[in-house]
Amino acid sequence: MPLTLRNTLAAVLVPLSLALSASPASPATAADLPPLSHSLTAQAAKPAPGLKLKDTDGKPHDLGQYRGKVVLVNFWATWCPPCRREMPSMQRLKDALAGEPFEVLAVDVGEDADTILAFTSQLDTALAFPILLDTRSRAMRDWKVAGLPTTYLIDKQGRIVATAIGGREFDHPEIVAAIRALLVK
Amino acid sequence: MRLLTLSLLAAWPFAGWAAAPTVDPETGLATWQIETSGVQVRLTQISPDQARAFYQARGFSARAAERYARECVFMTVVRNLGDTPIHHRLADWRYLHRGQRHPLRSKAQWAAIWKRYGVNEAARIAFTWAQFPATQTFAPGDWNQGMTTYRVGRGERFDLEVVWRIDGKPFSAILPEVHCAPDAA
Repeated sequence: MPLTLRNTLAAVLVPLSLALSASPASPATAADLPPLSHSLTAQAAKPAPGLKLKDTDGKPHDLGQYRGKVVLVNFWATWCPPCRREMPSMQRLKDALAGEPFEVLAVDVGEDADTILAFTSQLDTALAFPILLDTRSRAMRDWKVAGLPTTYLIDKQGRIVATAIGGREFDHPEIVAAIRALLVK
Repeated sequence: MRLLTLSLLAAWPFAGWAAAPTVDPETGLATWQIETSGVQVRLTQISPDQARAFYQARGFSARAAERYARECVFMTVVRNLGDTPIHHRLADWRYLHRGQRHPLRSKAQWAAIWKRYGVNEAARIAFTWAQFPATQTFAPGDWNQGMTTYRVGRGERFDLEVVWRIDGKPFSAILPEVHCAPDAA
């Protein structure tokens, strides 16, 4: 069992007589993985950059072809721990919205289909959404992704309306509700 | 429990709270965490063996992976637990080692090193995305993780000064007494 430390209030220097409120940090264990969040950050709608990539089966995909659907575009890689953890929740989200005009596009950066298959075949959840190959990281640059994972929610008009930086539980009720609200617009 | 001192740069409004490190009993690797004003920063040691294995699996030569493993490497997590966006710029961070303040080595500096080592494009892409982002805005609920490196000897200690901005106003906190993983962690 990892050590659990209760944090202590630290002594604080308070220059300029600034009073600080004190709160202990939450206990942490070394073996803990950072928890996944469940928030989406809404933003003013803006057109999504282009996204034309082949999937792991060699089938071409163009985000423009998904106009009329709400699309979750997720940038990830198999070596990225939070990416790996959130991946099954994207399938559960897709399952929760089965029959709705909704799609998930996972964009892998820099890896080949065999590497991705080696990862997805280990999952308890079979992934039924396309995994696109951004082998040279160009889509990442076009979308101005700063780190992995980063996820964009695209509305039916092809506009980015929300983002999520860092791992998420995508089938969390709050996220499902946010997407359902977009689906009826 | 240890009482850890956090410092503020003069005129900078907040400090934070840090705990003594927690140690993973299986790996012996330590994690430091600080949480202040809605921002959580966590550093977990990455052993030289882990660094070598990770990058060799991504296409680095043994020589190039060894070069990376010579540095003191940490998995670094920043999480926005508050209700205001925070802006991060890794170039603002400093580590204090043997009385000197040092900037962290940037991705661009690493890229120049990998050019000399002849690291291939796929490996360089993986490297780029595996490092902690150079700049990023974290909305509430956002978080990210990636590797940061320090030119510190095995087992040596340093203080890490973490900097972020809220509405253009700089904040900082210090993780004191972070130490580099030993070679055989």
